[in-house]
Parts: sequence; structure tokens; C-alpha cells
Amino acid sequence: MNPRLARLLTRIYPVSWRERYGAEFEELLETGRGGVRMVANVAWSGLRERIFPIRGLTPNRDTVPGRFHSLCAGAPWAIFSLAPLSLLAGCYIAACLILWIGWTMFLPGSDTPFGGGPQHGLANLYFQFGKYFYGCAPILVGWAVAVVAVRQRAKAVWPLTGFVLVAWIGAAARIRASRTEIPGGLGHIRMDFALWPWVQNGHESLVHALVILSLAVLPYLLWRIQIARTTLS
Amino acid sequence: MRSTQRVVSADTPEKIGHYSDPPLLVLASLASGPKHGHSMIEDIERLCGTRLGPGTLYGAIGRLEQQGWIEPLPVEERRQPYRITAEGMSVLRAKLTTLQRFAKSGLKRLELL
Repeated sequence: MNPRLARLLTRIYPVSWRERYGAEFEELLETGRGGVRMVANVAWSGLRERIFPIRGLTPNRDTVPGRFHSLCAGAPWAIFSLAPLSLLAGCYIAACLILWIGWTMFLPGSDTPFGGGPQHGLANLYFQFGKYFYGCAPILVGWAVAVVAVRQRAKAVWPLTGFVLVAWIGAAARIRASRTEIPGGLGHIRMDFALWPWVQNGHESLVHALVILSLAVLPYLLWRIQIARTTLS
Repeated sequence: MRSTQRVVSADTPEKIGHYSDPPLLVLASLASGPKHGHSMIEDIERLCGTRLGPGTLYGAIGRLEQQGWIEPLPVEERRQPYRITAEGMSVLRAKLTTLQRFAKSGLKRLELL
């Protein structure tokens, strides 16, 4: 195989893995048979190594900054509760900004950007993007929690706390935008949060929270199953 | 370590029954002496007809080394040979004994059909 392609394929693997096995692996790729099947095998194994890294290789200074690692160990509540909530707040601010810009640009005369807006064209694409970004934000934040938990080998209770909080806020948040109903505020846009969304908004909110929780927790759950299988065998 | 599984996706009858448990195959290959990656792939193919991809091979090597069942030897040029440890030997022996018992019982049942 072409040495350049071998080097490129080896880069799919995490740094800690490359430091340990990179040279010999590259040599094996260079001298071995090429082909699509082999490339697919290496790509799949590299991605798998990123998701389920070998435990002994994970605490590497190049992949996990020492300060962050100590922060995860010393203040897990900050990493798995405060940080996801702050990240989610940032995503919601960005979603509100997207909504406000779209409202100003495409619907300058309308009272609200919700309902009765454009059904096609660039405006539709823009608002759809904003809508999906807003909807997916809690799941993406949940995945970020899962990645940190996996890489830092955190105790299950902390990421689970993060998943529950993110799902709760995701189900509780509601964006409201209207020039007449919200005369004050920033750009006539306001976010409301119900403390007990399923009590105030019914079963729909509960289902929403459970969907967010299930999707956010899925990668973490897969990793735990993988670890359990490795330990059992 | 991955569980034992039979590869049944092959079309030809001689390919059916190929054994695919990469960590066990690596241990079995190293049981006959230290080898580097390329030799292991060739040896395993001769042993049971399964050709491991480089990614699969190094996935198994990494996990076996982490468990202390194989260990690296000094590098020869850019090639890294590995050898099986005493613990790896006993794991291999235990796994093969279980497989042997399983195969014996399975074949006995087939004979009764």
C-alpha cells in the first residue's frame, strides 16, 4: 500500500493508540495487501478505537489534558451538571439568535415567526435548520457528556445526572416570539422553562423528555455494555 | 474478548465454518512462537482459513496486551514481534479445552441424527 495512504489511515486512530502502535501498524499496512475491504476494515477499527478506546492507553497526556482530568475527578458535578447546562444555554441562545435573524430578514412584517411563515425557498431552509438545531441541542449536549464520561472513565452516576438534567431542560424549554404578546425583552423573543413540564404541558413533555434521555444516553449505554462484555469474557 | 462466532456469510461450503474470534486466533498463532503482525495474519490464515484485516488484528493485539496475555519483544526494523505470556497460555488452554468439549458434544449430537 501507498505509504501516504497508510499514514492517512493510521490517523483515524486516537493519538494515544498511534503513539503505541502507529509505527508497526503503518509498516503492516505498507507491506500488506491493499484494497477497499482492507481500507474499510482499518477505518471501522479506527473509529471503534475512538469510541471504545483501550483502557490502558486512555490516560495519555496528549489526548486527555491533565488539568481537565483532575477537574473531572475533583469536581464531577461541575463537568457533568454545570457544564452541560451552560452548553445547552449557549445552544438555546444561538437558536434564539437564529430565529431573530430569520424573523428580521424573511418575515419583517409578521407578528410572530411561528406559523404562517414561508413554506419554500431559502427562508424555509433557514428556519428548518434553526428548528432542528434547537430540537437536537439537548441530544448533542448529551453526547458530549457521554464522550467526556467515556474518556475520563467517570462513575456512572455523574453522566446519568447530566443526561437527566439535559433531558429535563430540553422538555421544559419553550421559545415564544411575538411582537404584540412580548412587547419588551430581547427582540420580542422569550424562553420559558416549566419546572415540571409534564404536569403543566401533559404527557407530550414527558415523552419528549424520555426521547431526549434515550437518544442522549445511547452511546454511553453502548460503551458500558462493551465494557461489561470485555470484563465477563 | 469477543465471543466465539462462526462466519456463515461465505458462499462456498469450504468457507462455511471459518473460525472468527480474533483474540483467540492471535493467542493460538503466538503459541507456536513469537511473531509480528504480518506473520500472524499469514499464520492464522494457514491455521483456520480466516484472514484477519489489519484493524481487526491490532484491535485484538491491543486488548490482549492490555490484559497481559501477550507482550511485545524488541522491535526488529519497524516490525514489532509479540509473544504469548504464561497467563496467555493458560487462557488459551482453557478456551481451547472448552471449545474441544463443545465440539465433541456437538459432533456427538450430529451423529445421533
